[in-house]
Amino acid sequence: MKTATLARLAVAGNRTDVLRTVLTALSALLATVAMLCAATVLSITGWADRYSVTLLVEPGLRPGVAATLILVSLPVLALAGQCIRLGAPARDRRLAAIRLAGATPGEGVLIATAETAVASLLGSVAGLVAYLVARAAIGDQHTLPTDVLPPAPVIAFLVLLVPALAAAIGALLMRRVIVTPLGVVRRVRKRGPRPWPGLLIAVGLAMFASPFQEHLPVHLPHWLPHSKNMTYVLLGGGVLLTMAGVVLGVGWISHTAGQLLRRYGRGPATLLAGQRLITDPWNGSRTMAALLAAVIAGSVALGYRANLATTFRYYDLDNQIMGYPYGRGMSAGAEPSFYFNAIRLVMVAVGLSAAVAAAGLLIALVESIVARRRAYASLTATGVPRRTLSAAILWQTLTPLVPALLLAMAAGDALLRLVPTHYDLGRSYRECLADNDALAHCHTPAALHLPNVLNVPVPWAELSLLGAGALLAVLVAVGVGVLVLRSSTDLEELRVG
Amino acid sequence: MSPLLSGTGLVRNYGATPALRGIDFAVGEGEIVAVTGPSGCGKSTLLHCLSGILRVDAGTVTYRDQDIGLWSEAARSRLRRTEFGVLFQFGQLVPELTAVENVALPLLLAGSGRREARRTALDWLDRLGVAELAEQRPGAISGGQQQRCATARALVTEPRVLFADEPTGALDVLTGEQVLGQIVRVAREQGTAVVLVTHEARVAAYADREVALRDGVVDPTGLGLGVAG
Repeated sequence: MKTATLARLAVAGNRTDVLRTVLTALSALLATVAMLCAATVLSITGWADRYSVTLLVEPGLRPGVAATLILVSLPVLALAGQCIRLGAPARDRRLAAIRLAGATPGEGVLIATAETAVASLLGSVAGLVAYLVARAAIGDQHTLPTDVLPPAPVIAFLVLLVPALAAAIGALLMRRVIVTPLGVVRRVRKRGPRPWPGLLIAVGLAMFASPFQEHLPVHLPHWLPHSKNMTYVLLGGGVLLTMAGVVLGVGWISHTAGQLLRRYGRGPATLLAGQRLITDPWNGSRTMAALLAAVIAGSVALGYRANLATTFRYYDLDNQIMGYPYGRGMSAGAEPSFYFNAIRLVMVAVGLSAAVAAAGLLIALVESIVARRRAYASLTATGVPRRTLSAAILWQTLTPLVPALLLAMAAGDALLRLVPTHYDLGRSYRECLADNDALAHCHTPAALHLPNVLNVPVPWAELSLLGAGALLAVLVAVGVGVLVLRSSTDLEELRVG
Repeated sequence: MSPLLSGTGLVRNYGATPALRGIDFAVGEGEIVAVTGPSGCGKSTLLHCLSGILRVDAGTVTYRDQDIGLWSEAARSRLRRTEFGVLFQFGQLVPELTAVENVALPLLLAGSGRREARRTALDWLDRLGVAELAEQRPGAISGGQQQRCATARALVTEPRVLFADEPTGALDVLTGEQVLGQIVRVAREQGTAVVLVTHEARVAAYADREVALRDGVVDPTGLGLGVAG
């Protein structure tokens, strides 16, 4: 098949396909802009006090800003992946017809993947244009780094990376889909998912813990270079593996929840939901991945904030014990509000990510309802009330979601529990006495009223808010998605050939 | 002389339900064979197995002395693209492509140039009397016209065997006769063998020979509709 033929078949489509193309391109645009911004931040060198945005000034803070921007791009990319399934029934018919005309199975998958790649490429090129136009519009105001540009190969790489990733997600989603000349069928695994993703979480936590080996029984192998970059790789890799473990673990959670619903549930809604969860346990992994990743990132940020607050309190108390005057001692000159504002920025990114993830979940939900419209219409025809079907959809979404959210929050907080979480104030005092520091006065009376050890608390309230927010976003998505149910259970659906 | 396409001892089950239970079938060069029988007797399954769309559970499908059952899915797809043509009752045209693009599709998939494929496709639409619909999409033309376009697509690669599954089942009698007449005329002109699945006597009457099925086997009475030849 020639490239021109592939391109023509990849852009063939109806109105739903146009909508899918637009949404995919829009997602790719946002992801490209976020990644280009991250690359721009990383292109700044040295101490950059020419910028009014303080997060860009310190070299040590810029990787965090870039990571936050990449965090935003991940759910947007996931949204592009969700868009692939939009209009799936019509696309399935089209692919089957192309197979009937003589396309091989590989060509069928290639066409489906090319559809996503073409739309994403359009979006990423538009993203590059938007990025360049925005830079020119902002001008040289020293608010944002418009005076630095990532190297051209990096820009080209990022513009191509987004369509490549979207196409890879598309191909991944197609791996259990068989396009035959008679229609599209999905392979069903006979064996349910196993809890092996738990191992991924354990490895992720161990990786994250290894740079803090002084405090933990996990040690870095001798052959690994003990550099700053290696620390970043271990921390980032640990977080990514933990996220992957949680996301993939939803398959097992869904299957188990489905079995429990079927066994203990009462009424047709739980029966329908339970059976659906058992039949397609990986649906949750596909649709909730971005949301769970955002919740893990949010939990890490909240844990870090609690850690930071404890650290600053420790510094204050320690300075009191040591009798340092204001402006001297540990953390002298540090501005806690600056760090807390940075974390607030991360939480805004998490909120944005959760909103985008909920939009992706809505698309997936609508698509799944439309794909099963005849089955739903038949159930309605046989007397099943629509509210029972709505309840079934709610059950099948929330039953795996609630434990998955708890797991995500626990995993996110566990990552931060692996860094030192207690501060010994008594040791400082002992060291003060021993050091004979000329500036320190070792104020014993003040120290008597202070705790000996400060522990970083688990931010239960904030974590609960995070979980409730994620749950609310999903509830809104389900509420909107269920509106489609009315039209999809119209008995006319049974008459369509 | 060995037949162009044959099936020996074909068995195919759908789960626990047998669809074909040891069928022998053969079609020679340029021969038109009608496969008849009541609904659910295995006619369409036989056609799908012979055309390589489905694999058989037992038995062999031989085309030009080669067992195509041993071939990969991709190889069987290429065989359908070059040597076979397939025509169904409906649902075979890509709704998003124009009539001429639909007809040109097998040629384009085989690697032909766009201009050459379009010219050949237009020629075939003209032979089937629907050249004026070349730029229309399937949704904008009638069922009979769609079936003519589908016929053009099935024949555009000048296949050695045409598989037609109830090709006039969704058409009114007059249009059905016209479409069928064109299929048979072109097949005769090109020397294409036709495996024609139908349950209608008037359709089977176009065939040289009839193979009647009943409950997944060739009807032992050999009576069938009794109209072919």
